[in-house]
Amino acid sequence: MSNAEMPDGDLLVILRHGPHGTSWLREGLDAALVGAAFGRRVALLFMGEGVLALLDGQGAGALGQKGTSPTLEMLEMYDIETLYVEGPAMARYGIAQQDLLLAPVALEDTVIAELVERHALILTF
Amino acid sequence: MKLHIVNRAPDAGRAVEQALSAMAAEDRLLLIEDGVQGALPSLVDEFASIEGRLYALHEDLEARGLMNRHDERVEVVDVEGFVTLTEQAERTLSWY
Amino acid sequence: MRYAILLMGAPYSDQASHSALRFARALLARGHRLETVFFYHDGVYNAARLAAPPQDEPHLVDGWAALHAEHGVTLQVCIAAALRRGLLDEREASRHGKSGHSVEAPFELTGLGQLVDVGLSCDRLVTFGP
Repeated sequence: MSNAEMPDGDLLVILRHGPHGTSWLREGLDAALVGAAFGRRVALLFMGEGVLALLDGQGAGALGQKGTSPTLEMLEMYDIETLYVEGPAMARYGIAQQDLLLAPVALEDTVIAELVERHALILTF
Repeated sequence: MKLHIVNRAPDAGRAVEQALSAMAAEDRLLLIEDGVQGALPSLVDEFASIEGRLYALHEDLEARGLMNRHDERVEVVDVEGFVTLTEQAERTLSWY
Repeated sequence: MRYAILLMGAPYSDQASHSALRFARALLARGHRLETVFFYHDGVYNAARLAAPPQDEPHLVDGWAALHAEHGVTLQVCIAAALRRGLLDEREASRHGKSGHSVEAPFELTGLGQLVDVGLSCDRLVTFGP
């Protein structure tokens, strides 16, 4: 993706954890949903282990907790359509675009600084 | 210019790599808490790409007995200097 | 400048709370204004009113309350993160049929939207994670 195509936004939420192991992913997504519900332009970047959040075929947790993939399916309803994934992290976990739930734009590491630059508030989870 | 704050040791997880990959050419990086371990001469090469823009928190070095063991290429700031760095940066990002 | 702090580390487990309180004191000493400390993730445990650390350790709950008393800093605790972790003020305790409460003023339970608002309206937001 060239820099010109990257839209500006209010809030960038960087998600660096996979589902189920901790609450970071869920609490990060909650921050994104709330930001969008308040009318802010929100983008998500799935970075590092966070790419596993996007994997299809996720299930419920040990006690039936619903996990985060149902939340991901709600993103569009909240008008969160600006989704990025760290390309090198996909390679690291051996994940291809067709394995993913949504259709995020893959970014090279060199472009992440530019993405950060285009947002007024960045929250890392 | 943005200030990136890292509180994790280089050997603990990927916080250092993630911070470095999100840094623009003018951005600065401050090591706090266990992050100050990265200021050791044997580990500081991880930060070679941002030489001159690397800081470590005096209080956290001192508490760990690392005050005179850090590499001279790392600029040491106290907590007041930490505040100054946040004044000078438009935004801060924390990597933990 | 107008600052806000986001704290996500549990007290006494991670250094984050101590780092955040030290940073808060330093920025106030430099003449800045600290509008809000927002507690999220395990940071909400900083609002536990029953915390009883040994006398020779810093008392974090009192430390935050002192910032409020001396400088008018609002102490906002994410209500969703708090309720899940057993941190309820009197109103929420009553609503959920609990016999005691674990959060009291000056800590306020509030929505996560406050974090986004504060983050965008203040000049600086500094996050302390675990």
